[in-house]
Amino acid sequence: MEDKKCYLYAPPRPQPGRAPKRRRLVNTGQPTTWELREHAFHEAWAQQEHQIQGAIDDADRSTLEKIAAFVSGVVPGPRRDRPPIPTGLVITGPSIASHGPFFRRVSDKIIADTKSIFVPLNSAECPNLKTLLKTLIRKATSGLPIDEDDDELPPSGAHKTGSKPLDYDLCLLLDWYSKTPVDKITIAIQDSEGFDDSIIVETIELLSSWSDRLPFVLLFGIATSADRFQDRLTGSAILSLEGEQFVVEQAEESLEKIFRATVEGPHVSLRVGPNLCRLLLDRHSDHSQSTQDFYDSLKYAYLCHFYANPMSVFLNRSLEFDQINHSAFEALRTLPSFRNYVEALLEDGSTDEIHSLLDSDQFLFANIKQHLELGQTALSRLTSAIAVVVILRNAMWKTQQVRYSSLYIRSASGDLYGSPLTRETILMVRKASSDTFSHVLATLASLRHSGLPMDIKEYQQALADLTEHSTTSAPLKSHYDVQSNTLRTTLVAQKVDLSKHKSTLSKQDAAYSDLIGRFHDELEAYLTEALIDPHSLYLSEILLYDLKSPHNEVFAPKPRFAMERALSSPHDYLNCSCCAESKAEGEHQLSASQPPSTILYQLYLESGAMLNVNDLWLAFNAITGGEDNQSEDVTTSLFQRSLAEFKYFGLVKPSRKKVDHVSKMMWKGL
Amino acid sequence: MKRKSAGVAPGTPTPKKNRTSTRQNGELDNDGAVKSPEVETPSKRRRGEQDLMKELHQAKANGATTGEINGGNTPGTPRSQRKVLFTTPTKPRQEDTPNGTPTIVRNADRSARRKSARRLIERTINGDESDEEALDEEDTLAQEILGGEGEGEGDEEEQDENDSGASPIPETPSKRGRGRPRGRPRKERSPTPPQNLPPHEEFFWQNRPGGTKTSNNTLPSSTLLNHDEYFTTMQSYEDPHGPERDFLLELHSRSFDQWIFELEQGFNICLYGYGSKRLLTDEFAAHLYDYLLARSSDISDTQLPRILVVNGYTSGITIRDIISSLASAIFTSTVKLPTQPGPLLSHVLSCLSSYPPSQPIQILLNSIDSLPLRRGPAVSLLAQLAAHPSIHLLCTADTPNFPLLWDLGQKAQFRFVFHDTTTFAPYDAEIDVVESVNELLGRSGRRVGGRDGVGFVLRSLPENARSLFRILINEQLDLLSADTNDNDNEGLGEQPASVQTPRHKLQLATRKHASESGMGMEYRMLYHKAVGEFVCSNEVGFRTLLKEFHDHQMVESRKDGMGTERLWIPFRREELEGLKEDFEVEGL
Repeated sequence: MEDKKCYLYAPPRPQPGRAPKRRRLVNTGQPTTWELREHAFHEAWAQQEHQIQGAIDDADRSTLEKIAAFVSGVVPGPRRDRPPIPTGLVITGPSIASHGPFFRRVSDKIIADTKSIFVPLNSAECPNLKTLLKTLIRKATSGLPIDEDDDELPPSGAHKTGSKPLDYDLCLLLDWYSKTPVDKITIAIQDSEGFDDSIIVETIELLSSWSDRLPFVLLFGIATSADRFQDRLTGSAILSLEGEQFVVEQAEESLEKIFRATVEGPHVSLRVGPNLCRLLLDRHSDHSQSTQDFYDSLKYAYLCHFYANPMSVFLNRSLEFDQINHSAFEALRTLPSFRNYVEALLEDGSTDEIHSLLDSDQFLFANIKQHLELGQTALSRLTSAIAVVVILRNAMWKTQQVRYSSLYIRSASGDLYGSPLTRETILMVRKASSDTFSHVLATLASLRHSGLPMDIKEYQQALADLTEHSTTSAPLKSHYDVQSNTLRTTLVAQKVDLSKHKSTLSKQDAAYSDLIGRFHDELEAYLTEALIDPHSLYLSEILLYDLKSPHNEVFAPKPRFAMERALSSPHDYLNCSCCAESKAEGEHQLSASQPPSTILYQLYLESGAMLNVNDLWLAFNAITGGEDNQSEDVTTSLFQRSLAEFKYFGLVKPSRKKVDHVSKMMWKGL
Repeated sequence: MKRKSAGVAPGTPTPKKNRTSTRQNGELDNDGAVKSPEVETPSKRRRGEQDLMKELHQAKANGATTGEINGGNTPGTPRSQRKVLFTTPTKPRQEDTPNGTPTIVRNADRSARRKSARRLIERTINGDESDEEALDEEDTLAQEILGGEGEGEGDEEEQDENDSGASPIPETPSKRGRGRPRGRPRKERSPTPPQNLPPHEEFFWQNRPGGTKTSNNTLPSSTLLNHDEYFTTMQSYEDPHGPERDFLLELHSRSFDQWIFELEQGFNICLYGYGSKRLLTDEFAAHLYDYLLARSSDISDTQLPRILVVNGYTSGITIRDIISSLASAIFTSTVKLPTQPGPLLSHVLSCLSSYPPSQPIQILLNSIDSLPLRRGPAVSLLAQLAAHPSIHLLCTADTPNFPLLWDLGQKAQFRFVFHDTTTFAPYDAEIDVVESVNELLGRSGRRVGGRDGVGFVLRSLPENARSLFRILINEQLDLLSADTNDNDNEGLGEQPASVQTPRHKLQLATRKHASESGMGMEYRMLYHKAVGEFVCSNEVGFRTLLKEFHDHQMVESRKDGMGTERLWIPFRREELEGLKEDFEVEGL
């Protein structure tokens, strides 16, 4: 089977010797609670996916609607003159990876909302005008179901004149168009930067010459800017377009929304910890720039948690006590957070409870259920507290906006409470003037899942009363703020002004100051309570997933490093006794017992940019070879095999500079 | 300088010169002139004569024939001998500059610098100087530069000697030897390369000019095994690391269930690491099959699990093969399908979208980074394929830099999770060991059965084809011998090279470089030659003739750095000569 190109796998006929081995693998693979955990995973992830999908839809709903409205606003129908082609310039931003999904959503939206077909084109499938037209016609004509007898292309192409149009003739499209209920043809050029200028120009000119018969709508995906796009077109091409610009929300912003959706809210059963979070966000900003990648990483985090952590079974909401066996509880009793919890109980002196926790699985089960709920509530309070801080902060400092994600990372590692940022923010609240305050209150009131203990409405009411009675149009000032204000005026103005200023403070401002002082105190108390260190929570091992290790290897692998390591220190992988000795002796010792390729690799590393194969062979033979003829044959074949492997990996390539030389292509550790 | 010296000590050097030159010219003169040099006051006329003679003398001294002067000179003046042998080509002009040690020094410096620059250029272009040359290079260079400095000193010394009038001194003093700095120790050269360099430093160290010092040994062709020998040997060979490899395999196979879970969750898997992963994917296929079978019996599905195994490493594989076998797994054979891979794939995918199968189709692709699958649209088609929810892809990658194959968009389509599965297993199926080593060493001619095979093929070809092959052989031999001649020239030393201006030498070097790096004949040139010899009349015919050779792998072609196509016969020089002989003898 190994030299066949492709084949469908068929199991070998059952042989008495082999069958048991495979069965063993199947049976030992899954631990007992896996099905419960799998269920929990599906439950949790479905919830998350729903949230994320909502966030994504939210992120570009308005753009999609605008585009759909633009497309449906085009009046179809044949015309005498050649009208300019309606063109949407969609500024999609620099993240190529998110273009595909975006245009898929555009496609769904357009097909659902308008009587148009949607033909996506990308630069890879259209190297020249001819192929572009072919692809366009093919995609358009197969885009919507047409008559069943229209199975083959040529009959539909039998033109009135009797001549058969070629497969890149737009006549085919016209024929098809006249038979379908579709009223316009939307062509989306997904990556306009990937196309040659000339192809775009030619396409536009060709399409515009058909625009009296075929109602085209063009959509260009533009990663840079509309100006740059315009620069690439010729004047005549621009004249035959009628453009409108749509700006898609950038990956950075939509990621922020998605991120918020994944951690906020009381229904999130598993949250990502700060370290992993930082890793994911860094990778997003530095490398991938795609929400898809973030989505995948988050999903993988869930996958890992539920697959590899047996404790995660307790996140199954419909879990019954008799579904789990004793060992799960035993495992749970070893958790560090459980120990901390028990120690805390011990200090309180509730020894009975400790006894029950340690002895009775039933009691522990109830305890876990209860505390998981509590933990989730606490975390949810934490996330909404972060949201509050973000709102306050961004209301006070218009210039320096903070991101929710960065605050989440700080708070999840437990250092947001008491940090200068929080203190500053709270102090600034006290100094806020009435208009800022009312703005803050309005935003807080609109906050979803806010766990705010205070009554925002009451504050709003009080503030409204105050401002109503205010005689001046100027916003009310808090006396915390006014003090500094006065200080400033004394420096600049005369004494008379100062006293006058103080007199206005007295009535409404004093009342306002009281109000905002109260708000400040309540806020401080709230934040103190809510901004906890999540890792100090009981059962935080279940509620948080914060492992970097599989993520790095799984999403950002280092294949070259892995191969170099395998070749330079095979012991790391093989763990064999023979290579252990040489490993112990020195960092990279050569010994005959190592696999032949690794020996050759050492020689390869030691040599210069060119390798004489004969000398290489002599050195190789000197290390591995034996005396007799037979062993020399073995040595040679091993040498040949290793050399061939090196060529396969691209470590060496033939050199024409000297006879029997090869050139070195890779340096270790680069 | 000469004039200056003449001014200081008039006449001292002139008579000697006079003597030597007169002797050379065979004029009647006697030793009396030597004995009473002071008496003669050099007149203007005489001085002009002397200058002329000096020039004449120099011209001869710098000429190819040295015996005359040596013969003319008195014995016991070894210096003059050395002078003539080692004189530098730029010297005469320095001598002619009217006045001045400073100029000479400057000139000497400049020439040394120029020379060193030229050498550097040559070496960078050639890059393949022999060991000794490379070793001595820096020292010679240093000597030359220092020699240039020493020249000034030498002149002064010479002047002193002239003043004392102690010995007969040739007018072009030797530069070498005299100018060597005295008492200055030679730079110590460590025989071992620097240790523990960081990787990038190591790269530059090993790629430094002249850094490649390899011997000229060649591998005797008897050393390498042929297919039969290789396979017999490998069959009897037992890997001492067998148990450890089995353990590694077992270790990886423990993750099978995890992989299945990942695949089910919409991820695709890419396995990397050293060692063939074919065994692993085979085992996984079996495991997956059992799993899917058990699962489909749970949901009472009659459809057998569909696992498509693709061996990407097979040499002739195309993306079309993959897609059409996928299509044949989905559709019955009676359905008419598009033939082009692109439309076929979109057809398959749209069918899968509109009628999603009860169980996704599993594709196990060995070596996704193999040569045939790296090119052209294959990658993007594979990405489209993998992006479909009803397709689960597990692939393996062998080369260390495979992630460079995909751009961001394709990466997002693939949705890979990567797993390191180093197995240390030999790539038995993936690599044709004997063949690829032969190719690596430029001995792929062995494939056609060597000289005899080529002769056999040629005999069955028409006259024109044979003529074309003959042209190619001759051209290639010419190129090879041009290379060696150039090398010989280098080896002959300063004498012939000294006549050439630096530019000539540079041109020579570049020409040599071109012929080497190209190694083979330009397609265009061969075509014109062929047309010129009436082998063919147009390019189509030419291509047809070449195709025959390509089919028998008697000719290989490649694009060089400039993008021009080059053709060559994959044989070594001796074999080519043999072939040429065959042509002559048999009249092939």
